Amino acid sequence: MKTPGPWNKVAVVGAGMIRFGELFDQSYEQMAAGAWRACRESVDLGLDPSQVEAMFVATQRGTLWGQEGIGGNTVPSAIGLSGVPCTRIENACPTGSDAFRVGAMAVASGVHDVVLVIGVEKMRDKSAEEGLLARAAGGHPIYTRGESAPVLFAPFATRHMHEYGTTKEMLASVAVKNHYNGARDPFAHFQNEITVDQVLAAPEVCSPLGLLDCCPQTDGAAAVLLVSAERAQEFTDSPVYVAGFGVATDHPYLHEKQDYLGLLASRLASARAYEMAGIVPKQLDCAEVHDCFTITEILDIEDLGFCEKGSGGAFSAAGETAIGGSMPVNTSGGLLAKGHPIGATGIAQIIELWWQLREQAGPRQVALKNGYALQHNVGGRGSGVSVVNILTRNAK
Amino acid sequence: MSTPRECHSAVLSIGVAAPTLRLHVAQVAAGWGRAGGRGQVAVCGPSEDALTLAWLAARRAITAAGILPEEIGGVWWGCTRPPFAEGPNLSFLSAALRLHPQSEAALLSGSPHAGIDALLAAADAVISGRVSTALVVASDSLLPALGSGLEAASGAGAVAVLLAAEGPATLGQVTTEWSPVLDRYRGDLETETREVYDGRLFREQVFLPLCQTVGSSLSADPSTRWSLPDPDGRLGRTLGERLGSIKVVSSAARSELGDTGAAAPLLGLAAALGEPGNLIALGFGGGRATALSIQVSSPVPGSSVVQQHLSGGQEVTYTEALRCRGQLVASGETVEMAVPPGSAMFVRGSHEMLALLGARCLACATVNTPPNVHPTCIGCGAIEFEIIPLPLHGTVQTFVVNQTMPAPFVAPLPLLVLDLEDGSRISCQGASDGSDLYIGVPVELQLRRYALERGVPIYGYAALVATASDNSSERPST
Repeated sequence: MKTPGPWNKVAVVGAGMIRFGELFDQSYEQMAAGAWRACRESVDLGLDPSQVEAMFVATQRGTLWGQEGIGGNTVPSAIGLSGVPCTRIENACPTGSDAFRVGAMAVASGVHDVVLVIGVEKMRDKSAEEGLLARAAGGHPIYTRGESAPVLFAPFATRHMHEYGTTKEMLASVAVKNHYNGARDPFAHFQNEITVDQVLAAPEVCSPLGLLDCCPQTDGAAAVLLVSAERAQEFTDSPVYVAGFGVATDHPYLHEKQDYLGLLASRLASARAYEMAGIVPKQLDCAEVHDCFTITEILDIEDLGFCEKGSGGAFSAAGETAIGGSMPVNTSGGLLAKGHPIGATGIAQIIELWWQLREQAGPRQVALKNGYALQHNVGGRGSGVSVVNILTRNAK
Repeated sequence: MSTPRECHSAVLSIGVAAPTLRLHVAQVAAGWGRAGGRGQVAVCGPSEDALTLAWLAARRAITAAGILPEEIGGVWWGCTRPPFAEGPNLSFLSAALRLHPQSEAALLSGSPHAGIDALLAAADAVISGRVSTALVVASDSLLPALGSGLEAASGAGAVAVLLAAEGPATLGQVTTEWSPVLDRYRGDLETETREVYDGRLFREQVFLPLCQTVGSSLSADPSTRWSLPDPDGRLGRTLGERLGSIKVVSSAARSELGDTGAAAPLLGLAAALGEPGNLIALGFGGGRATALSIQVSSPVPGSSVVQQHLSGGQEVTYTEALRCRGQLVASGETVEMAVPPGSAMFVRGSHEMLALLGARCLACATVNTPPNVHPTCIGCGAIEFEIIPLPLHGTVQTFVVNQTMPAPFVAPLPLLVLDLEDGSRISCQGASDGSDLYIGVPVELQLRRYALERGVPIYGYAALVATASDNSSERPST
């Protein structure tokens, strides 16, 4: 893995998604077909569907939520690629980003030259009580009982505020910034701006987090096309390369964390990705990080090395992570505004970076200095798994 | 008949427990469109029942005696209606109390007389020499029929005593008398207890004759302090008058908690065990009455905190009480536990959940919790462990209060990460509304009902901010 400079064995030559939201009018299969269509149309020099040699489907919740549990079977048929090799990937909240990594490895292995990675997730076909909130009754009958999604992250907010003086206003600055960006992203679930006062006045969901500190429950689908770097020019003149990636795990129970100030899996995964890409954090032009809750983005920007541990709240409140700041984060609106259809989330983050690195991000475009961008997810029980992918527009 | 027999065994210590909620009787009356109603009754919160109350009282008695749970020969539990009509009541209680795996156990049930039955059965085990230390627990959480007079009387509470051959208080004479009459009634397919008699018929022909007979059979003097049954809040006083200007000490517990059923006879004199002299406990239920004399020679350990452990409580409305008792249930589905109570996971994991066990790594001493999902140490990767009981005291490392929970969860629900006294860490629920929590606050763990899952109670530990009397550390090997 230790390579000088970016890995760059695989290129992203197509990327497309549907608008995220409460898509009650679309089936799982229809969402997948929409993302595939957008991805296919994004390939600059055209793609014949028969060129797709293999597929990876990213869907997180499996049979618990219905037919999508066998997405590896249903999605090829739904998008007109029945017969193509297809495998479903599940890896908690990083499901989409890990499917991307697995797809890249499939290409790099030489087994397949052209691979479609498609993330699809239905979060709203069931009510919140039967869906995401039902996880409070999952897992260990005692040790994880009551552990709905905010409980994975809110305890870190409590402790971060206690140790570092992080304030609710600082947390709110994350939501305000990401909604500002989301208002400029035609694919975002929420396309409205909000204020710090609105965030602070929102009903409490799980102390110290309020409603606007939490990402919504969102349906969505997103797809990218990966090809071997040698063949990238057949599809586009502006490929984006996979510079590096990293995955890491941590113990699954909340009481097994080293501390409640950061996420070990994020630190380990990003260190591996930086090493593989041969860069340091300050070489990044922008990043899409896992902001399922405002506190998560604060932890992320510290764990990923954008600022010192403990300074994330002030860094965010000072506008350093805004478009135009020293380290733009979640220009797409992030999970907080764009939404978090789990299997599609990581793929959609990569799509935003693909647009940024190809200077197609419109009003959200950041200034490109070094040509690198980072994508990150973290999740699972006890935030026990994290995936980081680093992209670059720089040829090796 | 009515000739006392001798019951020579001694009380080593006492512990009591009250549920967290109090319902003012006037609220019940108002609920049925009536004015008036005096006093209050204790009501179990959503995470409390007769088992959790029994556990808490027993823990307090064991701690007060300063003995190790594995030294106890067995548990005798009196309870009108234990949580499982059929089921592992005794093995659950024994596991949660960390008793020796071969310890004896007996459940005395079926009427409020069960508390006295448990005491006498345990005393016999001690007198026979079969066990050297016996744990007696009497607890109840009564479920009155809606609209019946019992709603104004039925409460909840628990009391536990440790018995041995020698101790600061000794059991003396016992008299029992029975009559084949109904008192209160609940059939096999009924959930609520109902009254059957005209009030005066019950008083004059059932309650008073039996109680007077046994009460007057024991030798007493004017200084003797009495614990009397008081099923409706008035009969206790009438019985006292019929027995002839006696000194009644059970009124305090009665007015605090209401009728505590099987727990009432011992609960009524728990505080009085702190003062030398003669006591008589009178128990009634199921057409039986028993009077038992106790001579206190020196204050019984645990008696000084009885009043503190019975007082307090949070006032609730009649509607909240109905919800807590399961008599008011929302329509619609509730979220099922992913692991059903009948699954193999509960066979593998039940003991370590009930006894709060951890796996301490023999190589690096890291405590892995829960043990059965940790075949490899999270600290060093070693695979050999010693199973240890975790301390029931610690401090809050971090916490949240979850306000958005689907049924059957009840918000606000605090969830905490605790640093326990031995350096290990667990996550668990909080038993309060969370408003008293902060980082670093000392907490104690109590057995609580985590869920009533597919009709089956599931128990685990929940944290409460520690009170002064409960803040004593465990002995290391418990």
